[in-house]
Amino acid sequence: MEDFAQPIVNGILLGGLYAIIAIGMSTMFGIVKLVNLAHGDLMILGSFLSLSLGTWMGIGPLWTLLLVVPIMYFVGFFVQGFLLNRVLGKEMEPPLLVAFGVSIILQNLLLMIYTPDARSLMTDLAVKTIPITSYLNIPVIYLLDALIGVAVITILYLLFQRTYLGRAIRAASDDEVAARLMGVNTRNIYAKAMGIAMMSAGVAGVLVGMTFTFYPHTGPQYLIIAFGVVVIGGLGSMKGTLAGGLILALSQLLGAQIFGPGYQLFCGYVVLLIVLAVRPQGIFGTV
Amino acid sequence: MKKAIYNSRWYVLAALVLILGIVPLMGDQYLLFFCMLFFLYLALAQMWNLLAGYSGLISLGQQSFVGMGGYVVAVMSNYYGVYIWLGVLLGGVFSALLGLFMSLFIFRMKGVYFAIGTWIFSEALLIWFSNWEYTKYGMGLFIKPNPNISMTEIYYASLIVGVGSVALVYGILRSKLGLGLMAMRDDEAVSETMGVEVFRSKLYCFLIGAFVTGSTAGILYIFQVFIQPYKAFAIDWTVKLVFIVIIGGIGTLEGPIVGAFVFVLLSQTLAEYFSVSMLILGAIAILVILIAPKGIMGTLQEKLGFEILSPRRK
Amino acid sequence: MAEVLALRVFDLDAHYKDFQALWAVSLDVKKGEVVSIIGANGSGKSTLLNTISGLLTPTRGTIEFFGQEIGDLVPHKTVAEGISLVPEGRRVFTRLTVNENLVMGSYVPRSRPNKNKSLKDIHELFPVLKARQNQMADTLSGGEQQMLAIGRALMSEPKLILCDEISLGLAPMIIKDIYKRLMQINAEGLTIVLVEQDIRRSLKAANHAYVMLEGKVVLEGEPSSLTEDEVKKAYFGL
Repeated sequence: MEDFAQPIVNGILLGGLYAIIAIGMSTMFGIVKLVNLAHGDLMILGSFLSLSLGTWMGIGPLWTLLLVVPIMYFVGFFVQGFLLNRVLGKEMEPPLLVAFGVSIILQNLLLMIYTPDARSLMTDLAVKTIPITSYLNIPVIYLLDALIGVAVITILYLLFQRTYLGRAIRAASDDEVAARLMGVNTRNIYAKAMGIAMMSAGVAGVLVGMTFTFYPHTGPQYLIIAFGVVVIGGLGSMKGTLAGGLILALSQLLGAQIFGPGYQLFCGYVVLLIVLAVRPQGIFGTV
Repeated sequence: MKKAIYNSRWYVLAALVLILGIVPLMGDQYLLFFCMLFFLYLALAQMWNLLAGYSGLISLGQQSFVGMGGYVVAVMSNYYGVYIWLGVLLGGVFSALLGLFMSLFIFRMKGVYFAIGTWIFSEALLIWFSNWEYTKYGMGLFIKPNPNISMTEIYYASLIVGVGSVALVYGILRSKLGLGLMAMRDDEAVSETMGVEVFRSKLYCFLIGAFVTGSTAGILYIFQVFIQPYKAFAIDWTVKLVFIVIIGGIGTLEGPIVGAFVFVLLSQTLAEYFSVSMLILGAIAILVILIAPKGIMGTLQEKLGFEILSPRRK
Repeated sequence: MAEVLALRVFDLDAHYKDFQALWAVSLDVKKGEVVSIIGANGSGKSTLLNTISGLLTPTRGTIEFFGQEIGDLVPHKTVAEGISLVPEGRRVFTRLTVNENLVMGSYVPRSRPNKNKSLKDIHELFPVLKARQNQMADTLSGGEQQMLAIGRALMSEPKLILCDEISLGLAPMIIKDIYKRLMQINAEGLTIVLVEQDIRRSLKAANHAYVMLEGKVVLEGEPSSLTEDEVKKAYFGL
């Protein structure tokens, strides 16, 4: 049992990080029925933005959030407003492929600017732990990830429930035509929604950068994590997203504990494939 | 004029294939290399086109079959000294078997779930192979052809899969299977009423695609001599195929031909700047989807009013 | 009282891709009136409302709203101008609560400040919506959903409300009730355009009626001046 205490605690905390990685993609999936294949790369863009800003201004990664988050809003607004909106609504393939194109462009752009070297966002939190027992420590950075993850998801929840913008986003995802008849400029709302989704991705990117190393090519790995969370947790529910993150992270870390560290991602993928095959609508999904 | 082009199309095509057939005799190594790459990418892309353009299956996991085909050739040649072309064939067979196994999971998924499901499968395979002692973990394997073969032989093998893939898809589209696919593509309601049939047609296409992709990858890896999981099972393969088909024209037989040519030309011209060529390809692909969603050939066909390789029976 | 034109549609054509759905339609609605547009399925009445609200852009002709040309405006602009459409099939936001649906009705900046007052008015007009205010809209009955759709349209404080087939699929008692409320708001000064297949009910409610057939206006006049026989002939194209 002692062997499993650490992976379970880490898994629970990592679940919060996975949830914030996924929440933006889940939101857009719910609204425009689009899987943003560039979600992981846009998130990694956030990591690199933080890296550059932090180095340039000599500030810590958490402080860079003040700039990364608004920049990411405009990136999201632009990607949706000028690219994805133009191919929306006909078939499923065109937006999917445009997002795929954005993903490849971003990866290679980052590769050209930053070289393929591994990077990380330096912070003294990374090595600190809170000892609980002789065999159990809580890594401070994981704790921070989880706390910020839950906080961001709560803020998004309040935004969707309490503001005109949030209600308009939900209304547009429910019935686009009816939303237009209420005076909602739905195209504009989609772009804003993507902007908000990318703000959360920006936060996720900074946290990922502080917790793990990242490369220009790491994006797709996180896209699959985000997709996994959405698949397990179902769409459009904040609780489901948190649960999805938890299940995915736990299956990865427990898998690594049982089969060896090389199989950490593998175990996550297998759980995902099984969920997809057995319950394609997700464990918590309603549709 | 249009009619003249249309009527003489078979002669033109035969002449083209003939010219490509004597490329090795010309003694230009670069040309040989260029054409070889063109044929290999044509075969891979034509299979993605068969899935995405005709069967409604967006697969983002073609690299599963690329890796499988490559690894089978490597293992067979390394450990068992199997005759190299038999190894290539076995690569196709194993890929098809892998496809069958994958279908147990992913054929219950639709649309985007299918797309990402295939991708996740490839990622799982990547990790599996890089943790597998039998395939030397992530270090990779050399391919030791038995017997030793020349560039000319590899070229002809590529020619066969390249031209063969076009002929195969042409044949499929004119067969009963293809008629079903076309009906399905043209009319959603048709597909609703023949559920089982649709499922089977899609599965056949998926398996055929897996077989051809696997064998083509085998040939490709004979040329490359060395295989590693991180390259063989990388999403990059599918990225290239998607771009080739989109740029050339999805759901047209000629699209992958034009697309593969554009791709090989661009990637060879910018061979030293791989990132730049991918970036340009990505940008072109997005522009094509936004401006001319039917791609180069699809748009051309609309303007000309006929298809050079029309799979529809008169 | 000088008669003010709320809406003037003149010589209007509209297309769905290659299919022409409206042919030179002209129609006048005076301020404070109830105007009925009747016609069979596919006669173009819904298309006309969609074109006025901006969901569809006319290919020819003009639409004037209180003297201002609005033919090219998209829906979120026409709503801001004061035109509200109660769409066919109600189209309430099923995953939002009743109150959230109503609040969405006050989305345009002009009506946001009066949100609370409007909400109170709607709750008075349709008490059932107050009783069910925190329920999800898809738990409502058909009649309640129709009231919600009307209430939601009224939340933007429109000058003109367009109602598309509001009695479709509802029990006669409920239809009667809904019409009673509509007449009540009309009496308070709101201009109403009703699109119905139910000839008798909408003729009874209207000051002026138009009959449409195959995308054209084939008959118009005050309900009292139209004989039932005349209307039926126009309706069925006999």
